[in-house]
Amino acid sequence: MSTFMPYAYFQCPCTDSFPQSRNLGDESPVSVSSSFDQDDRTFDPRAPRANYSLYPLEHLLYCEDCHQIRCPRCVLDEIVTWYCPNCLFEVPSSTVKSEGNRCTRSCFQCPICIAPLSVSSVEPHPEGLGAENLTVGGPYVLNCAHCYWSSKEIGIQFDKPNGIFAQLAKIKNGGEPIITARERRKDREERNRDTSAGPAVDEDGVQEERAANLDPNEILDAESQFSNLKAFYQSQLAEASPTSALTFSGGDYGYGSPGALSRIMGLYTGGSFADKKSKSKKGMMREAQDALEGLQIVSPTSEDEIINRLQTEGWDSTASTVQKDEQSTYTRFINDLRPIAHLLRTKRAKRCKTCRHILSKPEPKVQTTRFRIRLVALNCIPSISINPLSPLLPGQKSAFLVTPLKPTQFLLTFTNPLFEIVKVNIATPAQTPGRFANKVTVLCPQFEIGANTDAWEEALREGSKGIEREKRRTKAEATEGQHQAEAGKVWERGRNWVSVVVEVVPASLSFEGPDFMKSEEMLRDGGALREDEDVLEIPVFVRVDWEADAAHDESGGLSGGGRGESEVREKRELAYWCVLGVGRIAQD
Amino acid sequence: MSSSKRVSTAPAAPKSPTVLAPTLVIGEHAVLTGTYLITLGSNTVVHPRTKLNSTYAPITIGNNCIISERSIIGLQSPGSDQGMTIENGVVVEVGAIVEAKSIGEGSIIEVNAKIGKHAVLGKHCKIGPMCEVGEHEIVPDFTVLFGNGMRRIDRSGVEDLKLKMVARQVEILRKLIPNNLAKFK
Ligand SMILES: [Zn+2]
Ligand SMILES: [Zn+2]
Ligand SMILES: [Zn+2]
Ligand SMILES: [Zn+2]
Repeated sequence: MSTFMPYAYFQCPCTDSFPQSRNLGDESPVSVSSSFDQDDRTFDPRAPRANYSLYPLEHLLYCEDCHQIRCPRCVLDEIVTWYCPNCLFEVPSSTVKSEGNRCTRSCFQCPICIAPLSVSSVEPHPEGLGAENLTVGGPYVLNCAHCYWSSKEIGIQFDKPNGIFAQLAKIKNGGEPIITARERRKDREERNRDTSAGPAVDEDGVQEERAANLDPNEILDAESQFSNLKAFYQSQLAEASPTSALTFSGGDYGYGSPGALSRIMGLYTGGSFADKKSKSKKGMMREAQDALEGLQIVSPTSEDEIINRLQTEGWDSTASTVQKDEQSTYTRFINDLRPIAHLLRTKRAKRCKTCRHILSKPEPKVQTTRFRIRLVALNCIPSISINPLSPLLPGQKSAFLVTPLKPTQFLLTFTNPLFEIVKVNIATPAQTPGRFANKVTVLCPQFEIGANTDAWEEALREGSKGIEREKRRTKAEATEGQHQAEAGKVWERGRNWVSVVVEVVPASLSFEGPDFMKSEEMLRDGGALREDEDVLEIPVFVRVDWEADAAHDESGGLSGGGRGESEVREKRELAYWCVLGVGRIAQD
Repeated sequence: MSSSKRVSTAPAAPKSPTVLAPTLVIGEHAVLTGTYLITLGSNTVVHPRTKLNSTYAPITIGNNCIISERSIIGLQSPGSDQGMTIENGVVVEVGAIVEAKSIGEGSIIEVNAKIGKHAVLGKHCKIGPMCEVGEHEIVPDFTVLFGNGMRRIDRSGVEDLKLKMVARQVEILRKLIPNNLAKFK
């Protein structure tokens, strides 16, 4: 049996609109409409949807404007910084838009085993003293230190050791140059110039790059085909309706405009959607005719080629599914795999979905891990820790392995992070929902927790308080034999924490016994125990209320002195469900 | 060289018969046990706390090898007493367990890898961290084992360079590891 660690998960109230409940013994939660009373319902931690609303306290944020817990589902993410996880270089978001979400420097992952690749020279390293001062000449290759793959294997070498991304974009596997999108555009422009004889404007002002004369029957890779097709259809659309040609010259964003939409609809519905103006000028659009326009005709022998290759090179030359998934285009063979540029990561700020206030904002610099704003729930609502009450008996493997039908007591410790005294009410159903109903009793469901006072104050008070606490401890120990958890009494209390006792009578996990004693669900389901059904989970409803400064509660209750009458104390209340995993029920 | 006053942790078993090259570097706390012959070649480095066990078969390690600490070399249970041969320039990393029949020149056995009994490793192989080679398995030259049992053949052709790197590493280790060759003679 694996070791069990007790846990406390908190339910974010944002899921309250669809609460899950079921009666004892029911297999699946009843629908919302059939449940009779809102307040009677118990949160069921085993409901399939509960997985999506329960979080450890550390994962939750707290909106100080809405006075509510916020979970990953009810916050909005905003990207603060894009960066490369390999070189930690910050990438401006404009570059991300134009170049894509991969590192455009020299960061690559091995296409075989995804380990990071390093650039090294093909030439042997100079040896001896001062070797590091000598520069090693090219050509360079990408090397994997883990599986020994090298870009040499796919016939790729680089002239320079930096800017590998740009160099790689120009080389096909095998070493042939790739005609870049820019060169293709130049070629197109040249063609247009030949036909229309208009003045060609070079947008980039780069003249020396000679446009390649492209073969209309060329076999294109996926990216070039896409760029060719895109260029072709853009020019077609521009010709079809010259009035709105300007909207397309700006780039690809014109497609979403209402005009463009109606025109596209017009193409398919015979023009009834197109507005009058464009209708009158609408010419027929033709399809792509050759490779220059992005047309690729599937050759009838292409499949035979692949089969031949499979037969000659064998299974070992084919890429695995995982390897294929990392590639941007469909790749069958290992020799066609390309190094994977590192995917960029982001730093994100989080906003409350309801009031749009920022809940968390990291420093934009990649290297710093600090936060400018971070309103975590840990600082706003009491945390709960679970401990066994009785010491570990000899022979008992774990304190969290509980025996069926034997009353077991656990200590719940609530710690108050607030600077105010809080009142806590906790409630549990008498029996836990699910097939095995464990009986639960909270011995002290109502208590107050002291304020989380200043560390200085605490230090000053430590002397007297420490002694006091010591006294209480010894008293408790003196009466150890009789010291029983009393109903309605707090077990132990500290500066900003309170421990209360909860008693559980775990259900027996056996399916034996007369049928009439079993729940319907058990009868239906037969003998097998479902996954983690032996975990003893207690739903607990927690209500916390306290008084806070109405005006600026963000500063906390620290501004004790000089509180005028004008400052109103405001009552705050927070209520939420928690799930306490206290242990595993032993099976016999 | 270093005469530590601490009592050796090695059991007071009879010294195993050894043939040690004079240029061998062997740490004081290396453990050589067993009754068969242990042969260690020149310029080889045996880290402290390496365990060489010749109880069931002789062990022969070539030149320019690096056997790292907490690695276990030699059969751990009875088997063929043909013996184990580790060729020149082999690196056995920390915590690896090697029970192979032979390991080819320039191979690298990575951290916590396991080479099963009587396996035969070719030249310039690399057994990745935590990877395992089964018993009696024959691994061809230039095989790379990595990840979750994945295999490929390394065709980069830089094995000479790698052997040179190992030789350089040996030179550095020679300065770092206090040699106590006399103890094992
Ligand atoms: Zn939420
Ligand atoms: Zn990078
Ligand atoms: Zn690799
Ligand atoms: Zn809010």
